Amino acid sequence: MKHSPRALAVGAVLVLPVIVGFAYALLGATDVFGGFGQPAGAARLQRVLSEPAVWRGTVWALWVATMSTTLAAVLAVALSLAYAGTSRTDRLARALMNVPLAFPHIVAATVGLLILGQSGMLARMFMFSGVIASAAQMPELVADRFGIGVILTLVWKEAPFLLLINAAILGGHGAGYKEVARTHGASRWQVLQRVTWPLLWRGLSPALVAVAAFSFGSYETMVLLAPSNPLALPLLTAERYVDPALAGRNDAFVLALLGIVIGLIAVALHENIRARVDDTSHA
Amino acid sequence: MVDSLRARATINPMLRAASLFLLAVWTLSPLVYLIVLSFSYNWHAPALLPPSWTTEQWRQFVSSASAQREALFTSVALAALTAVFACLFALPFGRLIAKSTGWSRRLAAAMAFAPVAVPPIALATGLHFALLTFGLAGHFGGVLLAHIIPAVGYLTLFFLGAFSAYDVRIEEEARTLGATRFVVWQRVTLPLLRAPIADALALGFLISWAQVPLTLLIGGGLVRTLPLDLFAAVRAGDDARAASAALLLIVPALIAIAGVRAAVRRTGVVGL
Repeated sequence: MKHSPRALAVGAVLVLPVIVGFAYALLGATDVFGGFGQPAGAARLQRVLSEPAVWRGTVWALWVATMSTTLAAVLAVALSLAYAGTSRTDRLARALMNVPLAFPHIVAATVGLLILGQSGMLARMFMFSGVIASAAQMPELVADRFGIGVILTLVWKEAPFLLLINAAILGGHGAGYKEVARTHGASRWQVLQRVTWPLLWRGLSPALVAVAAFSFGSYETMVLLAPSNPLALPLLTAERYVDPALAGRNDAFVLALLGIVIGLIAVALHENIRARVDDTSHA
Repeated sequence: MVDSLRARATINPMLRAASLFLLAVWTLSPLVYLIVLSFSYNWHAPALLPPSWTTEQWRQFVSSASAQREALFTSVALAALTAVFACLFALPFGRLIAKSTGWSRRLAAAMAFAPVAVPPIALATGLHFALLTFGLAGHFGGVLLAHIIPAVGYLTLFFLGAFSAYDVRIEEEARTLGATRFVVWQRVTLPLLRAPIADALALGFLISWAQVPLTLLIGGGLVRTLPLDLFAAVRAGDDARAASAALLLIVPALIAIAGVRAAVRRTGVVGL
């Protein structure tokens, strides 16, 4: 395989802002600048990274990203199997699933807040139908510890995107493979198990990593729907960055470094999975 | 056997109709709710329906002194410029990466993905200091630059996908037949790429259109876009104003959706 310096040069230009961001964050995190008398060194890095709040916020954001991506994938796979045909119902179902694609995350989060909140539309409907007697009986879905509101909103937003990918996988070579398997006498169940499912899983897995990475950093969804304890990593980063005590602001750079590193791990995972999928599909 | 088949055939359509109804509620109710909310007056819990209706919110938006309208203009300008600049870079970038093979192609694609996958707030925190140094923080230009960064990465991956299915030999053939480079670009490349370029412009527009953390941090509150106006309205508890901002944010996206559908399918990277 020949390597191409021009492609790598292009890659270097594209990744440059991330490197610049990382470098500045590193200089801030080690108090080379903006430390307000704090000597340069790794003291701040060590202090911030040993704070339990930082790790709780990181784990919380990872939990939300994992749960929402998993549920969105389940919904997308179920819908793509249920409405794969060319009938009017099938086409209508697929058209309906396009609607959330038009919602920016901040809009989806706003609707999530207004519908799922303690005095939101859902609580009002439950009260009206007598399921609950007062708003206080409504289970907490917004700013709750488990992030149910954030997860539901992200599922609503991301499932249609995954559905699009599924449709592309099943509509491309997939349709042909299924037909061949059927002609060779495979039952519907065998086709699902041996053809459809492996195709979907392989095609979908890089997209799942991308969606999880995106959900992990979805500041605007979390800022409206996430609890203040534990405070998710993106929110914690922003909070420290605008800290009125200027000496504390450099803490945000440590958190930015953490965020960038997690993002880059996702990139590596994404490329790794995609490379493996490409190799097996060419074999 | 026949009976059970017949039973399945009647249950299935009913099940499908029921699940289609649920799907319609799941996808459409937020849109319907926002429309009702934007015309509601004094609608608070526990009222299930608005006590009265008004066009006040929309009249305010249309009035000349409306901050929301200003925010809309800023957002449109930012998103349009982001789309054009990101495309200008991403098209040749995607083409160059598509020409390469093996590990350098993979590494370059990973490097293009990095600005998309890194949490925007983390990227913004790091870049804010850099942009402050160049006097760009708190200005339209700085925010534009910040929006272009993830957009170029995303669109490069998009064009990488588009060019992987593109046959360069058509261009070579035109050259052999005596066409100049310009003529090839004008008569061969551009017509073949018209659809992907339109999709890429729509995608680039939407990436900037929906952006919050980069605008917030790099703009420092001085560059007020529509998403920030929405954010402020939600924080202030002004639901009707939030509804109008939200609807204004949805409309261009709905228009672009046909293009974006195709584009997302081709890129397969990140849910917008």
